[in-house]
Amino acid sequence: MCARIADMLGEERAMEQEITAKGYAHPEALVTTQWVAEHLEDTENFRIVESDEDVLLYDIGHIPNAVKIDWVEDLNDPILRDYLDPEHFAELMSEKGITPETKVVFYGDKNNWWATYALWVFQLFGHENVVVMDGGRKKWEAEGRPMTQEVPSFPRADYPIPERDDAKIRAFKQNVEKHLEKRGPLVDVRSPGEYSGELLHMPDYPQEGALRGGHIPGAANVPWARAVREDDGSFKSAGELREIYEGEAGLSEGEDVIAYCRIGERSSHTWFVLKYLLGYENVRNYDGSWTEWGNAVRAPIER
Amino acid sequence: MSRQRQIAVLVEHYQNPRHQGVLEGADVAMPGGNADCGGSVVIYLKAGEEGGIRSLSFTGQGDIISQAATSLILEQVLNDGLTMDEVLALDYDAFVDNVGREAVGSRTRNATLGLSTLKSAVRKYRKEMLLADPVGEPSPNGG
Repeated sequence: MCARIADMLGEERAMEQEITAKGYAHPEALVTTQWVAEHLEDTENFRIVESDEDVLLYDIGHIPNAVKIDWVEDLNDPILRDYLDPEHFAELMSEKGITPETKVVFYGDKNNWWATYALWVFQLFGHENVVVMDGGRKKWEAEGRPMTQEVPSFPRADYPIPERDDAKIRAFKQNVEKHLEKRGPLVDVRSPGEYSGELLHMPDYPQEGALRGGHIPGAANVPWARAVREDDGSFKSAGELREIYEGEAGLSEGEDVIAYCRIGERSSHTWFVLKYLLGYENVRNYDGSWTEWGNAVRAPIER
Repeated sequence: MSRQRQIAVLVEHYQNPRHQGVLEGADVAMPGGNADCGGSVVIYLKAGEEGGIRSLSFTGQGDIISQAATSLILEQVLNDGLTMDEVLALDYDAFVDNVGREAVGSRTRNATLGLSTLKSAVRKYRKEMLLADPVGEPSPNGG
């Protein structure tokens, strides 16, 4: 028994080392696929949440005991163009069997792009006991780990209605305007074509585009997916990330940084990288992003 | 059709897309969507006689709904022998119902990406024909 416990502790340490070896400021914000595999049954303390861009992926197979949270269906208020209110967040958590003490483990497709978005929304409501499974769905599948179509059912929880605090991690247009006045650093995480203004309209989808192409003046361009390894979808090491965000884009840790993209989803990934992996204290995600700024009257742009 | 059945049909089309690939000799290649958000497709259209459609194909990348629904609409148009006018008259809501509203949920734009791009391809073809033949002389394809 003691030997088994020692083995388990050794495995835990090895998994921790896999993350800590990358030199992150907050390695506790990530867990490995192996860690998740070993905690699948601990549904009292953990809840695994899949959040994808491809909304049907969960239905064709997901990590055992994972629940699905869809940004469009669950976290979004399309009428207000905002996120769900505290009452609905509490209801969503209760329905998924999540309490304020539950550690939520996010994973998803597209290198955890939507997983970090869901995590960011959770933090608006102060649910800070959250981690991301490094490598996401891509790594889990590549390692041949178990998938199921069985949708788990958990006892309903009693999640108290939280307070929502947008100020710390969310930027609105007026915040960006003030940020520009003091020449604060911005990072545009869209593709180079979107950043330069070359890509603007999408045929038959004018509602998704913007009247103008380009970027917010002074913004550096670091496409969001540069933060992950192409082979397994896991995050690059802190050293590699610093080279990209500080060496190339000129950001630095003590600054107040605002990240943006088209509607704030890709930039939530960069927000996670800067805040947890590189330890930036003051990073905000501008979810209005280019669909707001690019259309706003007299909002200055660069091309 | 149950939601699970709707998903099964979509996944089958996603894994075995109909009319996928570049269409050699196409009159129009029309891009649509956004690879970074939902999906993108290129619809290739070759016109037939008297406003008809001789052949269609698509290439693309993106989520299951956008790619599968594109495969579905191309299959429907070609199997039913729809004309360009009939394609332009197709109703988006009715198509989403056919695809499966329960499976699609609020991703209706993903589901109609193929159809909307196909309509754009038809309009582009007609515009190009008009520019090439502004006095209305009959074109070789009659389109």
